[in-house]
Amino acid sequence: MAQDGVGPLPRKERLILELLSSQGPLYGLQLVDHSDGALKRGTVYVTLGRMEAKGLVESQQEPVPPGAIGLPRRIYRPTVLGERMLRAWTAFARELAWEMKP
Amino acid sequence: MTGNSSGPRVPGTTLLTIARLLSHEHLISTVVQPTISDLQREIAAAGPHRFARLRAQWRGYWAFWTVMLVAPLTSRPSPAQQAGAIAFPDAVARLAVGSIVAALLVIVGPLLGVWVAAITAAGVPFALVMHAWYVRHPSEIPAPTEPKRRTPQINFSSTEVPGNIGGLIFVVGSVFIVAVGLPSVIWFLFVAAVAGSLLAWALVAWHASHPKRGLPENLIVLR
Repeated sequence: MAQDGVGPLPRKERLILELLSSQGPLYGLQLVDHSDGALKRGTVYVTLGRMEAKGLVESQQEPVPPGAIGLPRRIYRPTVLGERMLRAWTAFARELAWEMKP
Repeated sequence: MTGNSSGPRVPGTTLLTIARLLSHEHLISTVVQPTISDLQREIAAAGPHRFARLRAQWRGYWAFWTVMLVAPLTSRPSPAQQAGAIAFPDAVARLAVGSIVAALLVIVGPLLGVWVAAITAAGVPFALVMHAWYVRHPSEIPAPTEPKRRTPQINFSSTEVPGNIGGLIFVVGSVFIVAVGLPSVIWFLFVAAVAGSLLAWALVAWHASHPKRGLPENLIVLR
């Protein structure tokens, strides 16, 4: 469910979008592993849930093979809106860094 | 949840049960289940190594309880809440209500006697059953919004109702009108009527057994 307006992109959400864009679809635990400690396993799904509600990422449950034990995992990928947000913020950050150069 | 019911217990089953008691379905499917799924994968990946399994369990349980504490404070409301339905807000509110009920049970017992304490204690599981029923049959009544100006309304609280057959007809008629006008609250009215009758019966019983206690204006005169 996307929001009407475009809000700021917090640091963790930006990192998740960067990881998903560079590495491809990932599970939550893989995001934690790839983040070098920036993402915690206790909060990564809360952040992902919030991003999904904003329309920045989408998720899908993995198919469960017959006879498998345990809950199915959920794999995340960026949406078009998420990729555009990431590109816009990256361009903005680059622009800002260039403007602040002495 | 997939699994073999006759085989060994799947790790995280109890956690999922706890989460179902404390959280709404949207939070469980988007946040809690993936966390428990990670726990199960890590334990499975640890294999027979005892230390690795303990480490995976510790990390998974820590993540689960972090989720349970953090998610209600940071996550967005469930679709039912977003639609404006009256829904129990989150685990924090449940914890607060649970604490209040427990405190009331402790206080009410010595002060008001065993009958009232027993009825209060019986009300707790009753409330839980009502809540579980509500979760499965959510109300479609929209939550009241803040009125911009005071609107005319009928207030029954100051209406004096005599304690005779006329008063009974008035009360039953009022309830009937509300039930016809708002059919979705009919179960609430029914439960409230039963609970109110039980409470009234308990109060009469208590006052009958303790005629000297309480404020004079609160004494119940049986006719």
